[in-house]
Amino acid sequence: MWQGPLNKIDEYRYEIPQDYKGEKGFLRMRTSGMIYINDSMISTIRKDNAAEQVANVTSLPGIVGKSLAMPDIHWGYGFPIGGVAATSFENGVISPGGVGFDINCGVRLVRTHIEAAHLESKKIRELVDQMFINIPSGLGSKARIRLTKNQLEEVLELGAKWGVENGYGWEKDLDVLEENGCLSSADTTHVSQKALERGKEQVGSLGAGNHFLEIQKVDQIFDETAAKLFGVHKGQLVIMIHTGSRGCGHQICTDHLKVFEKAVKKYGINLPDRQLACSPAGTPEADAYFSAMSCAANFAWCNRQMIVHWVRQSFEKVLGETAEDLGMEIVYDVCHNIAKVEEHIIMGKKQKVYVHRKGATRSFGPRRQIPQKYKKIGQPVLIPGDMGTASYLLHGTDKAEESFSSTCHGAGRIMSRTKARSQWHGEKIGQDLSRKGIYVHPASWKVVAEESPDAYKNVDSVVDVAHGAGLSLKVARMIPLGVIKG
Amino acid sequence: MMMVHRRGYNIIDHTADIGVEASGKNLEEAFENLAESMFAIITDESVIENKIKKEIVLPRDSDTEQLVVDWLSELLYLSDVSGLVFGKFRVKLNDQLEALAWGEPYSRHKHGYGAAIKAVTYHLLSAKNNKNGVTIRVLFDV
Repeated sequence: MWQGPLNKIDEYRYEIPQDYKGEKGFLRMRTSGMIYINDSMISTIRKDNAAEQVANVTSLPGIVGKSLAMPDIHWGYGFPIGGVAATSFENGVISPGGVGFDINCGVRLVRTHIEAAHLESKKIRELVDQMFINIPSGLGSKARIRLTKNQLEEVLELGAKWGVENGYGWEKDLDVLEENGCLSSADTTHVSQKALERGKEQVGSLGAGNHFLEIQKVDQIFDETAAKLFGVHKGQLVIMIHTGSRGCGHQICTDHLKVFEKAVKKYGINLPDRQLACSPAGTPEADAYFSAMSCAANFAWCNRQMIVHWVRQSFEKVLGETAEDLGMEIVYDVCHNIAKVEEHIIMGKKQKVYVHRKGATRSFGPRRQIPQKYKKIGQPVLIPGDMGTASYLLHGTDKAEESFSSTCHGAGRIMSRTKARSQWHGEKIGQDLSRKGIYVHPASWKVVAEESPDAYKNVDSVVDVAHGAGLSLKVARMIPLGVIKG
Repeated sequence: MMMVHRRGYNIIDHTADIGVEASGKNLEEAFENLAESMFAIITDESVIENKIKKEIVLPRDSDTEQLVVDWLSELLYLSDVSGLVFGKFRVKLNDQLEALAWGEPYSRHKHGYGAAIKAVTYHLLSAKNNKNGVTIRVLFDV
């Protein structure tokens, strides 16, 4: 039970004041904390230590503005999940803990010309089973192809572009990915042999845990103009992919955290949690991490690119039409575990900062660096629900400048996996979902129990807070018809 | 937080992640139990046969906590690239860590499915001496 102060600012904003001394009584906050939640979420927040982590993040040297947490905030390690912090580009720090191990874990949405009502449930099952064959998922899953070391290094430098250049997807796919699917700051010099070995067999695999691949139906439209611009309409069949940089990204984070452990001592930085390890911007440690993190981000974009290719192939095989004829174009691709160099207006002044988003989605409004065709509205924001519940398509806003253009990233866990498993049986949940018209093909039924919808905050209320606070605005709600769980 | 008791270690139940507290009469035994607990989480405590032996040598270039992270991270890496899961360990600590790990190829059918561990975190990490020996606590990102 967290007992610290949460001062209500308005309906959607609660502040942890800068004079809070932390649970142990000797925390020195450099700024205040801000959590985007509503009254009904307070009791959940106080149940674990996520709010203390928001306060801890304020101790990062060179933090600019407040330490933030999105409405899906939950207890993480170092940063809370849902945590956002900006640090000065000139005299701030970079913290791998503000990105997480699954670098560029993210979401991609593919639309189709298919009306869900015109597709029998038998076809949905066939599609899901075909995708389950084409896209390896679950513990220790290896992709269909094995890359050479040279090929993998190209993937790490080129991102999704490598996929397209090698026949996995379409040239125009790249126009609608965050950063066009490649961070140019990538440099494989700082990627270890171990990370390369782990990555070679995993480009094009879903992984395990909360990662998923879903066939969804658009069941509600909130903003007709934006929906039209994003190419979605009520009743349409869409596909959502949620995965990241797999073992390659985990290894890169592990390798560099060890270096940062030493950097903390070398540069004399005092931190309340070891997992917040950081190094001043411009130091060799920070530069090496940032270039390796960019490699992992590119790996993830290429991973989702290969998966899209195999999703298209699966649809072609089952439905007997080409992916082009089926209109399987990408709506957008977002990353929600990343550090980015961005410019933001802070206290009325434009500043260059490192924005750390750990379980938070970028939410650029109109006129920002986003695909030309979305400039009138703002970027698409993709929020995956938990298994069996709704997912959302929103758009970015100018208002989100207050959160360094960030919004929520999902539902947010409220129950541990062990507890979820002891309460529910995966097969039973599968049957219940089947009665609701949702077909689940899991790598394991245990994961289905762990990922039970009741183990998460209600995604609708999380999105309502993000919408109410103006961090991103609702465009469409999607419900699942077929699910592949890792 | 909820504790589930096992032999030589306890699983710590954390909202988003899973942790473990492993003990031993000395640091070496605690390291062995810690490794065993990690694969118990991954394989849902299935029996893992000692078919293949791997040798692991790691430098001791920092404090005990860092060595805990290095040891478990090395096993995760080995498991990921070799497709093996391990069930038995022998650890010797001198000026470096020397270990043997026995295991077999992971099979979904045989070993079931616990939780895929992404990485070893520094959050809540501790290694403490007590009257019975050593207790190590670590939290995984799953």
